[in-house]
Amino acid sequence: MVNLQDVFFDYGEGETLKNISCRIDKGEFVAIIGANGAGKTTLCKLLNGLLKPSSGSVVINGMDTGTTKTSTLAKSIGFLFQNPDRQICKNTVREEILFGLELAFNDKVLIAERLENTLSTFGFQGDSNPFNLSRGERQRLALASLIAVEPEILILDEPTTGFDYMESMKTMGMIKELNGKGATVIMICHDMEVVLDFAERVLVLAEGTIIADGQTREIFRKEEALEQASVLPPQLAQLALRLGEGFEDVFSVDEMTDAIMKRMNKERTFEHERFSGLCTG
Amino acid sequence: MKGFLDYVPGNSFLHKLNPLTKLVLSLMICVACFISENHLLLVAIILLNLAIAKAAGILPRGLMLLKGLTKISLVIFLLQLLFIRGGDILITLPLNLLITERGVAMAFVIVFRLIGATMPLALMLSITQMNDLSNVLVTKLKIPYKYAFTLTTAMRFIPIFANEMSGIIEAQASRGVELDTRNIFKKIKFVLPLCVPLLITSVKKIEGSAISAEIRGFHLRTRESCYKGYPIKKSDVGVMFFSAFLVFSAIIVSGA
Repeated sequence: MVNLQDVFFDYGEGETLKNISCRIDKGEFVAIIGANGAGKTTLCKLLNGLLKPSSGSVVINGMDTGTTKTSTLAKSIGFLFQNPDRQICKNTVREEILFGLELAFNDKVLIAERLENTLSTFGFQGDSNPFNLSRGERQRLALASLIAVEPEILILDEPTTGFDYMESMKTMGMIKELNGKGATVIMICHDMEVVLDFAERVLVLAEGTIIADGQTREIFRKEEALEQASVLPPQLAQLALRLGEGFEDVFSVDEMTDAIMKRMNKERTFEHERFSGLCTG
Repeated sequence: MKGFLDYVPGNSFLHKLNPLTKLVLSLMICVACFISENHLLLVAIILLNLAIAKAAGILPRGLMLLKGLTKISLVIFLLQLLFIRGGDILITLPLNLLITERGVAMAFVIVFRLIGATMPLALMLSITQMNDLSNVLVTKLKIPYKYAFTLTTAMRFIPIFANEMSGIIEAQASRGVELDTRNIFKKIKFVLPLCVPLLITSVKKIEGSAISAEIRGFHLRTRESCYKGYPIKKSDVGVMFFSAFLVFSAIIVSGA
């Protein structure tokens, strides 16, 4: 579905991306993590053809992004930018969602149905002015107009920026739902809790190269790679790392509770056996 | 990635000149361009601009400007060629359009003027810090700080807005709007509605800048607040004489 082969890219000021090769299959939920300036946004812009690789190839659904127009690739790729104000260009929320739908479909019944569904799912007032919404709401609107189209590939550049915890979980839930329907999600995220909760696979980027690629939990155990990318794993994972043996697979509160209970029971049994031994001795 | 008006740091002779001198030089080059109708002088001024860019270590930017202005000039050249009439008729075209001797000469003059007069200001801004420019306007030309700040802020915002517009175009192309079409009319049709988000973002940015300026005590700033001195050195006097010579030459050549 997404195939990058020996990709190099530079803006004319030294190489931003170096020798990137990876394959992302249909239905995967991939997070790209790394420090600012590591090349995450550049990598995503290469995926939808906004940037063309200096060398190597980027192939999406059989289309080479080097030779395919971004507007053509947009039929199967939805891209959420960091700044929603660059995406919103209509006078009402309804028109904004409709704009994306009309670019993607010709069927008026389908468009009307998707529009109403999106408005009710996201809880938007159709006639409100998008530019009067808060930063978080504008971000949700930009995302809503993408989700309405149900693209095959959804690329999200920091989707939870400006959201409170509840908004963040709700929005990520919707993205996960779309992923559940078969869409591939590629997400840049600085919130490691969100990455841990939603991504199945993580690509770690540092100085323009992929330094680690694997399952989310596996990646959060690679201290060296995370340090190189200036990323800290979620606090619970850090605590589990320090506690060592018996806490290797701890990433959530429930898992931590279970692991502590197990350790306590083990120690209680050990104490009990020692006490029994002393009495009989 | 730097915009075409962003400051390029350097240690050249031109960088070290007083900002006022640089301003005078660029304005005098513009004046010389508008005084003269002599093709050779106008071409010499364009070459002078490139020499300035080379001396300041920004030749690639100078060439980029020249390339951009040449593209715009082609349209202007064509219009002037078709609509200015005088002298001998060189070519007769359908729809009663004529290409005349004066039309050709004036088309070249206008195009050379456009290039020659636009380049120095852009080059001057590339080698002058905005703060220095506003300070010198306040201390040397006695312009109230409020107006000097407005002028330099307006110039500072040009590359920011250009960057914002390219971001908006990227975002809309990613949605499937055919902004990457080669058809110029289609492109204009798609770009025009994008002025709305650009306008809104711009107003927000300007409002944000105004608020932060107020918070940092903008109203307390006076002419005396400037701690940096901008003395006029011998090199500045030399460049100012050269500027005057340039204008004088244009007057002489056009009078001849």
